[in-house]
Amino acid sequence: MVRVYQYEAFDRTFVNERVAEFRDQTRRFLAGELSEDEFRPLRLRNGLYIQTHAPMLRVAIPYGMLSSTQLRMLAHIARHYDRDYGHFSTRQNIQFNWPKLEQVPDILAELATVDMHAIQTSGNCIRNITTDHLAGVAADELEDPRPWCELIRQWSTHHPEFNYLPRKFKIAVTGAANDRAVSAVHDIGVHLVRGPDGVTGFEILCGGGLGRMPIIGKRIREWLPQSELLAYLEAILRVYNSHGRRDNIHRARIKVLVKSLGVAEFARQVEREYAANRAFAPQVGAAEIARLRASFTPPPYQLLRDSDPTSAAGAPFVAWYRHNTRAHKVSGYRAVFVSLKKHGEAPGDMSSPQMLGLAELADRYSFGELRVTHDQNLLLADVPQRELAALHRSLADLGLAAPNIGTLTDMIACPGLDFCSLANAGTIGVAKQIHAQFDDFDYLYDLGEIQVKMSGCMNACGHHHVGHIGILGVDKHGEEWYQITLGGSASGAVSLGEVIGPSVPKAQVAATLARIVEVYLERRHDADESFLQTVRRLGLAPFKERVYAEDAVAA
Amino acid sequence: MRKTLWRRELRADAWRYPGESGTGEPVLTLAELLQAAAEGRLAGAGVGVSLGPTDNVELLAPLVERLALIVVQFEKSGDGRGYSQAQLLRQRIGYAGELRAGGAIGRDHLFLLARCGFDAFDLDPGEDLEAARAQLQRYSVAYQGAADTLVRPRRREGYAA
Repeated sequence: MVRVYQYEAFDRTFVNERVAEFRDQTRRFLAGELSEDEFRPLRLRNGLYIQTHAPMLRVAIPYGMLSSTQLRMLAHIARHYDRDYGHFSTRQNIQFNWPKLEQVPDILAELATVDMHAIQTSGNCIRNITTDHLAGVAADELEDPRPWCELIRQWSTHHPEFNYLPRKFKIAVTGAANDRAVSAVHDIGVHLVRGPDGVTGFEILCGGGLGRMPIIGKRIREWLPQSELLAYLEAILRVYNSHGRRDNIHRARIKVLVKSLGVAEFARQVEREYAANRAFAPQVGAAEIARLRASFTPPPYQLLRDSDPTSAAGAPFVAWYRHNTRAHKVSGYRAVFVSLKKHGEAPGDMSSPQMLGLAELADRYSFGELRVTHDQNLLLADVPQRELAALHRSLADLGLAAPNIGTLTDMIACPGLDFCSLANAGTIGVAKQIHAQFDDFDYLYDLGEIQVKMSGCMNACGHHHVGHIGILGVDKHGEEWYQITLGGSASGAVSLGEVIGPSVPKAQVAATLARIVEVYLERRHDADESFLQTVRRLGLAPFKERVYAEDAVAA
Repeated sequence: MRKTLWRRELRADAWRYPGESGTGEPVLTLAELLQAAAEGRLAGAGVGVSLGPTDNVELLAPLVERLALIVVQFEKSGDGRGYSQAQLLRQRIGYAGELRAGGAIGRDHLFLLARCGFDAFDLDPGEDLEAARAQLQRYSVAYQGAADTLVRPRRREGYAA
């Protein structure tokens, strides 16, 4: 039994027709019948980039949900078509860095056999819908967001009107009080909330985003009935498709339109379009909602009691339990992070033997289901507490039990110069430098929760603006330098970090972080005051002073 | 001679686009059309108009009975404004005449253009006619409703058409 959305013959027909179309387009490109300019938008809408060394194929993992069968297929793709590994991204997707262009149609055909695809994982269209990785198991959840994610996925897939937008378009959905989907920095953030009469509907944010112009999304609808979700999204997309800028790629995201019109005027235009389009807008019927909800019913949990698995356990298990597992709303269960942040490895990378081993563990311990988190780890959502010790041993054997979730070395990093043609910076090398600097786990635990997020360029794939510590690679006369920001946050009260001063040379990034956290340890009230709270209380001054002190690292 | 696919057939084109010379019926720009209408110079039905990507199609609502051809010009590949213009013309404005896509379009765009309500396409002279026709049959299913004047993809069973 698999706990991901169950394809019907209808969905399979669509994906197979899409594979056939792309096979024909690839053939025409290789035969010289399509120019690179003609082929580019077609291949992008099928997840295929041309990168520094080779094509990169980004496979969709809708809202991060993955079955063990699908993970085995990803392992097969990695082994047979790539260099035996894949890279999980902040869009909850997976990227393969070394496929051969002429084999991509075959890869897509293989993916289709397990109901997977690469549709709309790039290009100026509606991208993969993302959500809370604890969807369905978090205690602070009002309603499971995944049926709504699936509804939006279907509506946005091959949408006839919105396939050639001014720019890419990202939607995140969350059903919990604590937003773990970073929805405020998406083009649209959809929040399940209770309305004035206690009825669950949606709050809609619009115009958030990172990149060159980081902006936190603004609320344009306080409450929307559930049946109206697609009608309202359609109105937003139509206003954007008609009026978003197309003359400058850096001004083409919806955040620029919202900003230039002003949020009140933008919301007025959306409401006007929403009202005018009533006769033609998609309505979400009760039968459709029921069908989608049935794909996400809770797994058959056993009746178990909560226990304390740490009582008679050794120190490695206790550390892992404390840092890599989370509370579950069902007694006797825990949610378990699978760390893809082992020191010395590229963040988010996973080898095919690890994928195969983990698929086995998902079957044995977590109903055959996995999730990809937006911070580049995986999650087994439903593990009985009494199995945790066995699971820990197996994960450790696979190299997937680094007990560092939520710590400084659980950092996000984009693939950087090693793979990406846009990057200024070798982010993977810097990640390894930071791993080496902070290899004392007791010290990491004393520092508590610190989110480090690193991007190799302004496009901010590594979400550096919302890192407690953000690191941005910049190019100075052909050399790699790194700009540091402090005070960003991706959850709770979302905030954008502030630049502390001149950028630092590559060799000094980890040492700079070390100085920053020294200030924190000296100045925090006590161990209960987190790094972020301390930065917010003190401001940047003491951190600046230490980083740029006399023996300064910066130029 | 323009190579226009109308429905599924090649059609000899009797229209003369803005800026073209020749003897065909003139296709007006939106500004010319509105001015002619304001001055009472629109003679009967059978008028053609050509739209650019920034033209507001809602201005055509009062004139829709007079129009026999609307050409939506795609100025740049990847500019998707024409898709919204077409859906509005077919759905909100209720235009039922020939709706033609011109400019920077190619075979690979035809299916979604047809879903948005286009029923005619100016093709590149080198375009393979059979392949263009086949592209209109590329998908048998669709997740969304749309204007769909030329293609009829199946919706999921039990869903509204």
